[in-house]
Amino acid sequence: MLTRIVRTKAEKGHHVRNHTVKAAVLVAGALLLAACSTNKTESGSGGNNQSCDQSKGTLVIGVIAPQSGGLSALGLGIKNSAMLAVDQANEKCAVPGYKLSVQTEDDQATAQVGAQAATRLSSNANVVGVVGTLNSSVAQSVQPILKAKNIVQVSPANTNPSLTRGTDYGTNPKREYANYFRVCATDDLQGPFAAKYLVGKAGKKNIAVITDGKTYGEGLAGEFKKEAVKEGAAIAAVAKVGEKDTDFSGVINSIRGSNPDAVYYGGEYPQAGPLSKQMKDAGLNVPVMGGDGIYDPKFIELGGKEGDLATSVGAPTDTLDTAKAFVSAYKAKAYKDDFSAYGAFSYDATNAIIGSLAKTLSGGTAWSDGKRADLITNVQSYSAQGATGEVKFDQYGDSTNKLLTVYKVSGGKWAADETGTFGG
Amino acid sequence: MNIPPGWSWLGQFLLYVAAGLLVIWLLVTGYRALARFLGGRPGLVRPLAIAGGVLAVVGALLPWVTFPLNDGPYPDLATLQFFDAPFAVTGFRLFTLITGVAAIALSFVPRIPVRRVLRALGLGLAGVALVNTIFPLIDGGGFGAITAADGAFAFGGIVTLVASLVLFFVSKAGDLEPLPRWNTKVPRLVAYAALLVSFLVLLFAVARLLNSGSDSGGGSTTYSGPIFLSLLVFFAGLFGALHAIGFAGWLSAVSDDHKLFSVLVLLLAALALPFTEAGTDYWMTIAANIGVYAATAIGLNIVVGLAGLLDLGYVAFLGIGAFVAANLSGAAAAEFHIHLPFVVAALVSATVAGVFGAIVGSPTLRVRGDYLAIVTLAFGEIFKKAAQNNIGGLTGGANAIPGVPPISWFGASFDESFTIGGVQLPSGVLYYVLIIVLVSVVMLVFANLKNSRIGRAWIAIREDEDAARAMGIKTGQAKILAFLIGATLAGLAGSVFAHKTSTVAYDSFQFPESVTLLAAVILGGMGTIPGAVIGASLLLILPEKLRDFSDYRLLLFGLALVLIMRFRPQGIVPDRHRRAELAGEAEGGVPIEELNVPDSPQGATR
Amino acid sequence: MATLLQQLTSGLVLGALIALIALGYTMVYGIIQLINFAHGEVFMVSVFGALATYKWFIPQSWQGTWQIALPCMLVGAVLVAVVLAVLMERFAYRPLRNAPRLAPLITALGVSVMLKEFVRNFFPGATAAVSVPRAFVDKAITFAVPGGTVVIQSTGILLVVVSIIGAVLLQTYITRSRMGRAMRATAQDPDTARLMGVDPNRTIVLTFVIGGALAGLAAVLYGIHINTVDTEAGFLNGIFAFTAAVLGGVGSIKGAVIGGFTIGVIKTMAGQYFPGGTEYDLVWIFVLLIVVLVFRPQGLFGEPERVRA
Repeated sequence: MLTRIVRTKAEKGHHVRNHTVKAAVLVAGALLLAACSTNKTESGSGGNNQSCDQSKGTLVIGVIAPQSGGLSALGLGIKNSAMLAVDQANEKCAVPGYKLSVQTEDDQATAQVGAQAATRLSSNANVVGVVGTLNSSVAQSVQPILKAKNIVQVSPANTNPSLTRGTDYGTNPKREYANYFRVCATDDLQGPFAAKYLVGKAGKKNIAVITDGKTYGEGLAGEFKKEAVKEGAAIAAVAKVGEKDTDFSGVINSIRGSNPDAVYYGGEYPQAGPLSKQMKDAGLNVPVMGGDGIYDPKFIELGGKEGDLATSVGAPTDTLDTAKAFVSAYKAKAYKDDFSAYGAFSYDATNAIIGSLAKTLSGGTAWSDGKRADLITNVQSYSAQGATGEVKFDQYGDSTNKLLTVYKVSGGKWAADETGTFGG
Repeated sequence: MNIPPGWSWLGQFLLYVAAGLLVIWLLVTGYRALARFLGGRPGLVRPLAIAGGVLAVVGALLPWVTFPLNDGPYPDLATLQFFDAPFAVTGFRLFTLITGVAAIALSFVPRIPVRRVLRALGLGLAGVALVNTIFPLIDGGGFGAITAADGAFAFGGIVTLVASLVLFFVSKAGDLEPLPRWNTKVPRLVAYAALLVSFLVLLFAVARLLNSGSDSGGGSTTYSGPIFLSLLVFFAGLFGALHAIGFAGWLSAVSDDHKLFSVLVLLLAALALPFTEAGTDYWMTIAANIGVYAATAIGLNIVVGLAGLLDLGYVAFLGIGAFVAANLSGAAAAEFHIHLPFVVAALVSATVAGVFGAIVGSPTLRVRGDYLAIVTLAFGEIFKKAAQNNIGGLTGGANAIPGVPPISWFGASFDESFTIGGVQLPSGVLYYVLIIVLVSVVMLVFANLKNSRIGRAWIAIREDEDAARAMGIKTGQAKILAFLIGATLAGLAGSVFAHKTSTVAYDSFQFPESVTLLAAVILGGMGTIPGAVIGASLLLILPEKLRDFSDYRLLLFGLALVLIMRFRPQGIVPDRHRRAELAGEAEGGVPIEELNVPDSPQGATR
Repeated sequence: MATLLQQLTSGLVLGALIALIALGYTMVYGIIQLINFAHGEVFMVSVFGALATYKWFIPQSWQGTWQIALPCMLVGAVLVAVVLAVLMERFAYRPLRNAPRLAPLITALGVSVMLKEFVRNFFPGATAAVSVPRAFVDKAITFAVPGGTVVIQSTGILLVVVSIIGAVLLQTYITRSRMGRAMRATAQDPDTARLMGVDPNRTIVLTFVIGGALAGLAAVLYGIHINTVDTEAGFLNGIFAFTAAVLGGVGSIKGAVIGGFTIGVIKTMAGQYFPGGTEYDLVWIFVLLIVVLVFRPQGLFGEPERVRA
């Protein structure tokens, strides 16, 4: 109604200025009405507890993960979980004399941008450690940069075994980067564990393997295949889905002919869910098994069916108080994004750095470049209960948490089926 | 039955759209009315300039933000009163103060185009004011942050915004002056001095800009985005003012007259960057990456900018070069366990990439225009698939080829820092020097090609392939040559990429990277020599500086592509021929419609 | 034999989807010679539009009844697609109509990046894949064939039927109706068309509207057939669809449909029978595209390319 009147007056060309003034007064009035709104909080800067001694300044924990583009959901979960750990540490005055903060760098999921991010963090003297990366290929370019500055790096998500044990990780393991640790399980642990369960316990002898061609999926499926054959199963068929495919009928048809009694999928839930559903639609109603990349409630939402299986690191989450505490604390913070697949690992990785830092600086010493070596030593000997179970590192920097759990979809939920360790 | 929530959201959304349209309408009407009012009153220039200047000074001295924001206090003591300490202002408040004082002073200076100068300064100030009101507005959770809340007042931003508008409207009082033209016939010594000083100032401005809001002391990086943006728009305003008084045009004419000297000074200035405050590990790494992208983009510029062949899979050549270099670097994960010297490996990479360029280019003999774009996109995807599936064991597949050793010459490893004359240079500085040399060589190749027989043939093909063939140009050969040379340059850049990044993975060479390269060429200016370098620099530096907006990085990137094509298709540095074609201007700068040329069939639709 | 037939069936279903999207490409290209790169993203956004309609605009008690839910989703998706297509035409492409050919193509790239990122940032949960409910009879039909069985989804049948009917209706509209004649006239020569009393702007907008509506239709069918969507869904399907349009001959309705089915079938067949298997199925499609373009640049059903100024 108002707009119509305005337009007719304007068309006539009279009193335009007069009307503009009136409208401007209206807008100004609206602005004044809105003037009171702020988000001012009394506590000041985020998570700052007044009772803590923070006189010595701020120490920074860097996060390198994708914050934009196709993998941002995972990267944002990593960032938020690291922020949660830091906020909690600030509230608890975990590091005496210092305030902790998080500096997130977007690696855009590519190696060269990851290198830039690592260089940026490494030239800041107050960066004590780095949580990241998500992609193993980005880690490959980040490792040498952080090593040159002796900065500790704890990855929540890299599963490529060669990052810790070198190219010949199977036969001649050799640690190249003393500053690199990870809290997640490597492919050569999860894959074989899954194979033992699927062949040994579930009795599947004719297994088809599908991968998504990405580092995580390829590595996992490769290790699975080796162990499955060792256990006496036949690999009925091997197929690969495109990274951006959503219609998997071609792939499903191609493995259908070999009548597999189970499918092992190397990849992540966004494709695994629909794959499982489309398999069922196509009359191939056999269980799909995958790694921690599909152990996510969204897998079921996207089509994961009853009886599908996934391995994940650590004891079942619902038996761990630390895991439950993490989930409820994350929910309480009301982040915009889900903590997704690697949130809990990121939380543990951050806490490993914070805990080791507290030990390094105990007794009131100040942070300096000279403390970096101590910090790495302390991370090496770090040991605590985290959201994913025990957080502790072996001589290569891998997690010693070799406890794995097989989960099964039952009643529309993931339920723990078997917990154990893989003994080779 | 409950009404689903979507309907009320939709209602709200439509309401916002209507409100937005109303505000836009108000702004446009107000602008027109004011311009009409001022148009016949040239006497208002000085009073308006003084009023604007005074307002700006007042704005600079008022508080801008009502309370220390939750992420930490806004920079430059924005919450405090400064009337008691007018000389202690810093950062964006200093820019506001300078602009205000300058406006008052300039209104008394005779014989300068006051309207033009104040228009530039006003726009710059508007940018400063907008950045520093919108950011606290959003971060502070509402208008209370920048107006009044809990008994605290902060109208600095709004006053400055008004001041900038007043300064801008000075240009509407009476007609704009003509752009002054300075005498370009100056003694050689004066010209050299002017060029030297200008490039030095440019160097320091760039260094300051790169390091603005940085965290070298470990300080907060929370507000590095707005700090950088404030400085950027302030510099843009200053540059606009320099342009308005005719200095920029004079300098560019002088540097055209003394081309060799300008190029030398520019090269020296580039090599001097590590000695400035931007000489950090971080900026050296970014500069090296910019160099890799710039060299590749120059190669692409030959294909797209000169020959007019759109290539949407260009990053594949960078990838081919990188994979070849990685395989010849002696990396443990490579297929061949041989280690060639870098120079040899680089030449092999360039050659292999060039051969692939010729192969990809061969369909151009039959396929034209948009179809070619799709064919090149198809080749790009084929390359990605092949690399992902570890074709012939050459690419490492999903595991990539990690552990490519840094380049090392005469015992000096390129990733270490070293000292020259007592100055500790950042690590990676050797890569920076190498990349400067590489980009210079590539630019030299490009410049020579552009003005050669083959370059003219390419441009002729771009303008009209059939006419070019009729004139006796072997179009097939010329087109394949464009692909071959472009790909060779990309392959050369790829060899540096492999060593600098130390890992070569297929996911560094996907479609978005091709689009980025294309965007670099377009942004900088198609077919021009510095264009691709400027474009690549902007596309790599802006995301680094504006990390606050990393969620929206790609959104802004897409928007920028659309807006550039709409409003400045010729790019930042327009090519003289290209401008004629893209912006509808003849070479002399007259709009084409005003020239008396017969309409082409497509040109008459409007 | 069973495998071959099954792959063929799956290929046809995939092809039907590609064909529907390809129609939008082919119509826009036919009339203003613009590769509307963003068309794939329009399709993707309207899948989200359909999902939003289902989730937030239909009362929960109706969500289970496909007779109500499906038409509502269709309206939502088509509305979103048409509004987007028209806005795109008006604000991104029309100002560039007399610009050199590279300019609108690059604009289209920009628009497609923008649309993708817009959804990723502002649709709740769209940073990862989102599930789309199967708002249609959830049933698989099994046929016995020599050597096994062939399974096809009810949604798959719907896709094939709708795409063929849609193409036939479109063909009739373009050849028989007044507006269709105007479109063909504008495609051939906009200036002469204008002299004959055809408003080129209106005609071009109508083309975008039809293309958008078909993308919306495809989006709903995709959503209920695949049951998941993420922001990347537009890229690959868009490329496939464009390839189909080029393969069939840009500007030809028949060509787009046959091109779509060809690509769908080749994708499934290549995964099964061609060297490299599923790892390289995409590559075979592109190889076919390159071969066709090199030896028959006008596509299978296209008219030989006019020499353009």
